Amino acid sequence: MRGPAQAMATADDVGVIDDVVRRAQQGDVQAFEMLYRTHAAAVFALCRRMVGDDGQALELVQDVFVRAWERLTTFRGQSSLSTWLHRLAANVVLEHLRSSKRDALRLIDGDDATFGARSPAGQIDARIDLDAALLQLPGGARTVFILHDIEGYSHDEIAQMTGIAAGTARAQLWRARRALMRLLDL
Amino acid sequence: MTDTQSHLTEEERHAFADGSLSSERLPQVEEHVRACAACAFDVERIKTLMTRLQETPVGSTPAPLDALWPSIRTRIEASKVIPLSANGGRVEERRAPRRIGLAMAAAAAALITAVALGLRYTTRPSAPTAQSNDTTSLIAVADSAHAYEEEAQTLLNQLELRRAMLRPEAVVQIDRDLRVVDSAIAELKEAIARDPNNPALRRLLASSYRQKVDVLKRVGNAT
Repeated sequence: MRGPAQAMATADDVGVIDDVVRRAQQGDVQAFEMLYRTHAAAVFALCRRMVGDDGQALELVQDVFVRAWERLTTFRGQSSLSTWLHRLAANVVLEHLRSSKRDALRLIDGDDATFGARSPAGQIDARIDLDAALLQLPGGARTVFILHDIEGYSHDEIAQMTGIAAGTARAQLWRARRALMRLLDL
Repeated sequence: MTDTQSHLTEEERHAFADGSLSSERLPQVEEHVRACAACAFDVERIKTLMTRLQETPVGSTPAPLDALWPSIRTRIEASKVIPLSANGGRVEERRAPRRIGLAMAAAAAALITAVALGLRYTTRPSAPTAQSNDTTSLIAVADSAHAYEEEAQTLLNQLELRRAMLRPEAVVQIDRDLRVVDSAIAELKEAIARDPNNPALRRLLASSYRQKVDVLKRVGNAT
């Protein structure tokens, strides 16, 4: 599952996008602006899900696209540009979380019941949406869940990106899913 | 889990629900799910979460997203590649305290010197006689450059995966150094486009990629 990352381009767009990417790789800022306008919303969604804050997510979107400009020549079309951008964005957010000493990569102690328990009736609407439920998860579980179930990374890839063991990533994922099932009343 | 007497493990339930269970285990787990209502119910809940996830829209995008572009453009313009003629000062001013930074700066400086020498060739295209005598060598050098380029790309991919593990200041340093090396490679490619049969330029390009590989390997070893 690659979620929104691969939902961006339609087959009809492929040729045009290839040309725009090529121009941007050659230093055409206007072409890069087209790429920004095409992909910014999906990158923002990823950033917002990972940090849980619109303001920070907007700042990170800027960082992601500045980084993308700097590294665009390394994109060789082996994956779609949106997949490449999402990987870049995930790394930028992880760097941000690490440098700001947030708890995103911290291991979670305790059993499943210590987080993700349903709030008292009335506090959380029964139709709470997924993003709101995600915000209730501790940073580490949220990060792993987003990277695996939304962005489609393998546990080994997540281990490399975050520095936690693949087995820990698996455990985080299961806990996150359990918590979300409770929060979403599944 | 091997029979219906004991329930599926947590790993088996999740792997079965999200489709990542190995094909070797799949028949057993399927059989158990058919026979065990508790496990079947739980697997179904996980699958429902997966479905909900796929059906959930990305969400609303705040209005400021469009307004971000001007500041991104400003940052991009500010970070554009420095002309090679001005590179000496840039490398000089960067006296990184860390070993990696120094090594990279040295590599970049050597590369820039090499490129500067190489560019002199571009003002005087190589002689036809030299080209015809050196065809085999030219192909070998091009192959060598290609091999180093491939290796550099592999190392870059590995670096991307490890990027989040690096200290932020180290990341800034690495990116800056790679930009310098990449700009030198870009200059060489332009020069080769103008004088494709110049073996000296080809050798410099191969050497540049090799230096990039060396730089990336040093980063890899340091992390």
